[in-house]
Amino acid sequence: MNSASSRRAAFWSGARVSAGAPSIVLAAGYLGFAALAKAGEFPLWAALISVTTVWSLPGQLVMLELWLAGTAPLIIVIAVALTAMRFLPMTVSFLPLVREPRHRAAQLYFAAHMLVMTNWAPCMRSVPELPIGQRMPYFLGFAITNWVACVAATLAGYFLVDSFPPLVNRGLVLITPLYFVLILSAEYRNRLAFASILCGAVAGPLLYAVTPQWSILLAGAGGGTAAYFLFRPRHA
Amino acid sequence: MLELALLVLACGAATYVWRGLAVPLSGRVRADSAAFTWIGCVAYAMVASLIARMLLLPGGALAATLLPERLLACAVALALYHAGRRNLLLGMLAGFGVIVLSGWLRGGGL
Repeated sequence: MNSASSRRAAFWSGARVSAGAPSIVLAAGYLGFAALAKAGEFPLWAALISVTTVWSLPGQLVMLELWLAGTAPLIIVIAVALTAMRFLPMTVSFLPLVREPRHRAAQLYFAAHMLVMTNWAPCMRSVPELPIGQRMPYFLGFAITNWVACVAATLAGYFLVDSFPPLVNRGLVLITPLYFVLILSAEYRNRLAFASILCGAVAGPLLYAVTPQWSILLAGAGGGTAAYFLFRPRHA
Repeated sequence: MLELALLVLACGAATYVWRGLAVPLSGRVRADSAAFTWIGCVAYAMVASLIARMLLLPGGALAATLLPERLLACAVALALYHAGRRNLLLGMLAGFGVIVLSGWLRGGGL
């Protein structure tokens, strides 16, 4: 097999793996996001632009919820930037796995954009098992399939939400918070992450009662920093 | 409308800054440094604070559900997720089912 066709095969192999559980689960989260957007009269075009440009469900949810609460745009952008900080260590750890000397800078910057938690976790595990030349196409096949599924789910959620009975809609808007409750609960073995989650979960609603606009920022920065200093691993 | 478009694009840029920065940094810094550990803590705490607020003090469409219903949905979803070898879809479907069913029992009919 020549290298162009093996790269093409790797792309489709990534797409096939992605089209199973990873894309279905992520798309379910975006179905809920679209239902929340529709219920809050957040326009479809803005939801679709955010799927493509923000491309991060936590960031989009923070943006949507703060926008619905009438928060000042600058605070919204700062809050989204803070939730996105985690992409720096994630991407720094991932890029060396797929990087080849022949890659142009634009390809690396594009790959960095497509990385989300849902493809990072499985690709960190499976990509190192592939030959160097097939890694980037495998990852891109995986990530682009995620994106296609999420655009489709956003459209579906937005158009379907009004045609369902109200009870089903309640279930749909609960999907996104449920998704995060489950994902976050899986961190119970990681003491530091779990402490951060608990600190944030307690501080969030309390601070919301005092200052709705700043509650997410303060609970995140304050709760995360408190957990870090209380539970960080001590280096001898 | 223009304002909302600018807001969404600014949020996209604010997210991309971190992804883009990783390109020149990758291979030069360690991904398990103290600063990165702290960043992870803040990200976890922020998402958790938002989700806790959505579940305990919901606005919009979620406000139509009761607190015990939401907590029950989370509990059932968590139980099935962890019993079912961390099957996210199973957990989400279960929580969805609980909210719909309890609303149905409470209100009578769909």
